[in-house]
Amino acid sequence: MRLIRAELLKARRRTMTWVLLVVALVLTGVIYLLIGRAIGGVSCALGGVLRGDQGTCIVEFPAAYGLIDQFAFSTLGGLLAIVFAAAFVGADWNWGVLRNVIARGESRARYLLGKAAGVAIVLAIGAALIFFFALLMTYITAFANGVPVASPLRGNGLTDMLANLLLGYLVVLERAALGFAVAVLLRSQLAGAVVGIVLYLGEGIVTTFLTLTAFGRMFGRGGDFGSGLQLIGPEWFQYLPMTVGNQVLSSAPGVSGNLASGGIEGLFLKPVPLEQALPALLIYLFVAVIASVVALNRQEVI
Amino acid sequence: MDTLTPTPAPADHFLPRTDAPSADLAVATRGLMKRYGRQVALTGLDMSVPTGKVYGFLGPNGSGKTTALRLLTGLLRPNAGTISLFGTPYTWHDRTRLFRVGSLIETPSFYPYLSGAENLDVLSASGPPTDKRRIDQVLEYVGMSGRAKSPIQTYSLGMKQRLGIAAAMLSDPDLLLLDEPANGLDPGGMVAMRETLRYFTGELGKTVVISSHLLHEVEMLADVVGIIDHGRLIREGPLHELLEAAGRVRVRVAPEDMTKAAGVLREFAPDRPLYGVDSGDQAGWFTVGVAPARAAEINRALAGAGIYAAGLEPGSDLESIFLELTGRTGVVGATAAAAPAPSVEPGPPPMGPA
Repeated sequence: MRLIRAELLKARRRTMTWVLLVVALVLTGVIYLLIGRAIGGVSCALGGVLRGDQGTCIVEFPAAYGLIDQFAFSTLGGLLAIVFAAAFVGADWNWGVLRNVIARGESRARYLLGKAAGVAIVLAIGAALIFFFALLMTYITAFANGVPVASPLRGNGLTDMLANLLLGYLVVLERAALGFAVAVLLRSQLAGAVVGIVLYLGEGIVTTFLTLTAFGRMFGRGGDFGSGLQLIGPEWFQYLPMTVGNQVLSSAPGVSGNLASGGIEGLFLKPVPLEQALPALLIYLFVAVIASVVALNRQEVI
Repeated sequence: MDTLTPTPAPADHFLPRTDAPSADLAVATRGLMKRYGRQVALTGLDMSVPTGKVYGFLGPNGSGKTTALRLLTGLLRPNAGTISLFGTPYTWHDRTRLFRVGSLIETPSFYPYLSGAENLDVLSASGPPTDKRRIDQVLEYVGMSGRAKSPIQTYSLGMKQRLGIAAAMLSDPDLLLLDEPANGLDPGGMVAMRETLRYFTGELGKTVVISSHLLHEVEMLADVVGIIDHGRLIREGPLHELLEAAGRVRVRVAPEDMTKAAGVLREFAPDRPLYGVDSGDQAGWFTVGVAPARAAEINRALAGAGIYAAGLEPGSDLESIFLELTGRTGVVGATAAAAPAPSVEPGPPPMGPA
C-alpha cells in the first residue's frame, strides 16, 4: 500500500498528468463543438434515433455512448493512456531513481506492480472524468442545436452507463499496459511513449489495409451484395492488441457494431463477440504487466 | 643515482585471496568479476571492509569503483566471484540484505518536480519500513531542513548531493556506500559531511565506504584505504600503516655534496629506492623513503657526516601513494633523474588506528 500511495503522490505532483488530462478534456470539448456546428439540429451524429415524420433527432441513451466511448476510451483516451503509462514508468530510468529503490532492497516485482496499480488508479479517475465530460458535452451540444436529449438514467440507463464505463476503462487499461511494457523494455519514457504511439497508429493502418484486403477478397469471390452490404468476419487481425479493444467497445450497450474504433472495419467486418474479445483483451493486459516484471527482474540497472 | 619510478605493489596482492570473509567485515568480495560486453570492468576484486570503520575506496577514472558499488547494491550481477555482507554471502536475489545498506551511487537521482522532503517520502515507501520522523532527522543531519519543501529542480548540485547523503541514511543503515559524496559540496558542506560520517562511525559504530577522487578528503576521513586500478585492488590496509610504509622525507643538500649524502641517506631505507635530483633548479633534493618522524634523525646523520641540509620536508600523503601505485599522470619520476621530485605537502594526521 505504501508503494501505491507513493506512486499516487508522484502522479498527482507531476505536471504531465494534468497536462494530459487537460488535453483530453479540451480535445473532447472541441470535437463536440465541431459536431455541433455540423449537425444543425437535424442529424443524429451525437447518437440517437430519428423520431417523427420530420425526421427530427432525439439524442437517446445508450445510443449516444457510441460517440462518447470513441473519444473517451478508443482513440483519444487510448492514445493518451499509452503516453501517460509509458512516461510514468519510463521516467524512473531517465531520472535514475530506479537505482535508489533497488539499492534499498525493494523487490523489483513489487515496485513495478505498485507502479502499475498507481497507473490503473490514475487512469480510472481520468477515464471517468473524460467519460462524464463527454456526456456533459453531449447535452451542451444538443441543447445548443435545439436537439432534445433523453435522460441517460431512464430504464436500464444506470446499468448501461456503468457497463460502458467499465468496458471502456478496461480498454484504456490494456492500452496503457502495452505502453507501460514498451517503456520498461526500452528503459525510457520518451522511447516508450513514441513506440507506443507508433504501435497504436501502425496497427490502425495495418488493420485498415487488412480490412480492405479481406473485403476485396470476398468481393472477388462474388459475394452476394444484392440485398445490401454484408459484413464479413470476424477476421484474425481483429484480435490484435489495439484492435481487440475496439471489439470490446463494440459490445458495450448502445455502441453499434465496431464503429467505436473510428476505423473503417466497422463498415465491413462483424465485431468479435464480447465473450472472445474480453478474454483476449485481459490476456494482453496481463501479459504486458508480466512481461514488464520479468524484464525488470532480469535487467541490470546502470 | 636512482631515478623516481613507480613502486610496484607486492606480488601477493595479485594473487586471489582464499580466506573466508569474517564476521568482522562489513563487506568482503572475493574474485569479483564484471564485464560489460567485451569490456572488463572488474578482474577479480578482493576487498575487505572492516566493520565500524571509514573505508576509502580510491582509483583512477574507469578503474571499476562505481561498478563495484553497483554490484554491492544489487544493481548489477557479477560474472564471477562472491560478495559477503556482514559475514554472510549476498547474491543478486537476497534483496532484503540491502535493508542494512544505504547508498549514493554516482550522481544523486531524484524526481525533479517533487520537493526534497517528498522525494525522501516516496523513497521511504520502498525497501525497509522507515519511520516518517526519520525524514526530518536526516534532512537536519545534512543541513537541508530549510529547503526541504523546495522542488529539486531549484537545488544546486551541492544541495542535491546533501539530499543524496540524506537519502542514503534514510533507513538508518549499518553500512553506507557513498560514491563521490563530496561532489559539488562547498567547503562548509564538506566539513559537515566529514563530521556527519565521523559521528556515524565513531558514535554509532556503523561502517562507511567512501569512493572519491578527492584524496585529501579521503585522507582526512578514512581509517582503511583500498586502491583499485584496472578492476583489481592493488593495495589495501589501514591508512596510517600505508602512510608510514610509503613515508618519505625530502632533504636538500648542496649539489656538490650529493654523492656523499646519498651514502648516508641510503642507510636509512636500504630496501627502498633513493630518489635524487642532480641538476636544474631542484638540484640537490633527495627523497628518502622513511617515516616522516625520522626527519630529525636524518638531519643529525647528515650533520654528523659534515653535510648541512638546506631544506627538510617531512611527510607523505595519500596522493603521492596513489600516483605511485596507479602510475597515472604526475607519475613520480616518469622523466629522468633531472626531473624534480614531487612536492610533498605534509598532510593532516591520519585518523585513529584501524
